[in-house]
Amino acid sequence: MFPKKLLLAEDDEDDKQLFHDFLHHRSDLLLMPAAENGVALLETLDNIRDAKDLPDFIILDQNMPRKNGLQTLELLKSNKRYTHIPVMVYSSYADQHLVKTCSEKGASAVCSKPITYKEYNDMIENFLGTIIHNQTNRQGF
Amino acid sequence: MKNNEPIQKTMEELRNELEELRHQLDEANETIDAIRTGQIDALVVEGKDGHQLYTLKTADHTYRVFIEKMSEGAVTVNHEGIILYSNSQFARMINMPLNGIIGLPFEKFVVPENKTIYSVLFNESWKSDGKGEVSLISGNNITPVQLSLTTLELQEGVSLSIIITDLTSQKATQKKLRDNFEQLEQANQALEISNHDLQQFASVASHDLQEPLRKIQVFSNLLKEKQKELTVDSERYLDKIIESASRMKNLIIDILNYSRLSADDHKLECVDLSEVVKELMVDFELMIQDKNAVIQVGKLPCLYVNRGQVRQVFQNIISNALKFSKPGNSSRISINSTRISEKSFNSPLQEDGPYCLIRIRDNGIGFNEKYLASIFALFERLHSKDKYEGTGIGMAIAKKIIDKHNGLITAVSHEGEGAEFRIILPIDQKDV
Repeated sequence: MFPKKLLLAEDDEDDKQLFHDFLHHRSDLLLMPAAENGVALLETLDNIRDAKDLPDFIILDQNMPRKNGLQTLELLKSNKRYTHIPVMVYSSYADQHLVKTCSEKGASAVCSKPITYKEYNDMIENFLGTIIHNQTNRQGF
Repeated sequence: MKNNEPIQKTMEELRNELEELRHQLDEANETIDAIRTGQIDALVVEGKDGHQLYTLKTADHTYRVFIEKMSEGAVTVNHEGIILYSNSQFARMINMPLNGIIGLPFEKFVVPENKTIYSVLFNESWKSDGKGEVSLISGNNITPVQLSLTTLELQEGVSLSIIITDLTSQKATQKKLRDNFEQLEQANQALEISNHDLQQFASVASHDLQEPLRKIQVFSNLLKEKQKELTVDSERYLDKIIESASRMKNLIIDILNYSRLSADDHKLECVDLSEVVKELMVDFELMIQDKNAVIQVGKLPCLYVNRGQVRQVFQNIISNALKFSKPGNSSRISINSTRISEKSFNSPLQEDGPYCLIRIRDNGIGFNEKYLASIFALFERLHSKDKYEGTGIGMAIAKKIIDKHNGLITAVSHEGEGAEFRIILPIDQKDV
């Protein structure tokens, strides 16, 4: 099975580095170069000519300048080209309000930013699990 | 001397005459007084053509007493607006002797800027009763009054009666009310702004505090993984950092939850408290096993409340009950409710009463009741945090939620003898 292409939008250098350090070893993931923020992420996507090169899923930091996670999510979901890509929003603190609004706007998952190596990998596995679960459900077996 | 005699006589006559006049004046005054106070209905006056009987058209006893004793001014004016009669209250109002008023035009006492109002009122009132507000000149002062005008049929013809109500105190009260209302409005606005700012502050501060805090957690954990490079002491210090960071995170989340309670997201729904407690028992499963706890739940009502918030109250109280159990003792918790008739902890029971009293009892370490108020205050802890973990916000949150639901919360306890939390909530918020 091909590794899944993952695109991250994250403005925090430390978190970008952690994300890479904790996850780049995974054989089931292909980490695309992370975008600085929501606007940069949309530019990156628009510059991808071939649809088969689009990421398989996207992770958005909520707290970003210019366009935050939620705003970027809305733009992604309202664009026919990207609406099918599963999106997860993560934040230093994902409260009920954020979980609710992001879910309503079509996020596949919402969570608090992990702290440890294990938590980062658990987060990815949960996200992948949710996506596979959703896809099998959609296919109706 | 001869010339002096008639003069002397005249002096004597004059004295008598004066005496006679004085007598007459006294009599007249008495008569007037009697008329004023309603003791006379008719009088006989000796005139050139013999005695004449004058009946007083307005001599109705109660009427005259009423006019004279009432706190309003009362005058009668003719078609020219000349005052024919005035009661003494009106004289006091305009600060003039009564005898100086009769014969003057009423308009004279109206302040210049109100003369048009008065003249319109005066002219209209001959046709139908009129009412209006003007200011009267009262010595050096101005008195706001209400005039009620109505025609009066007297023997001499139709005249206009004017009742004058002093509005000074009414105006003052109105002004005071207005001022107070304005002040209240301002205070309210200031409070709303500061409340909003405070919520904003708590929310922003908490969110923004989370980011650096998380970094501390992340990098401490990374450091801890390099165990081989750490001395025993360094590892111990690192554990302290990780512990404190985790405690701070809990504090921030609790503050955030507390500040969010003030926000107006008061969604109410019918909530079965038994369901809520059942859910919580599942959440607490590990802790219940750990403490060897037995939780007995009686019949609990369905209440019209904010589900998440009320769940939080039960969660905080049950978690406290489990946390503050006696070491080595299996923890026993009971949750029961009864219906009561009033919002008071002394209320009598009433099967279909509008309030319910919920008691959550434990056999834990309890507390001294002199600390009761501190339990519900923000950040107050009765126990050192080494012994019992917690942020000291849980009970403050519980109280705030119960307050928002128009309820009451208190606790009864003795040190070492368990505690009982009592909550009163209205069955239906609509009735409150």
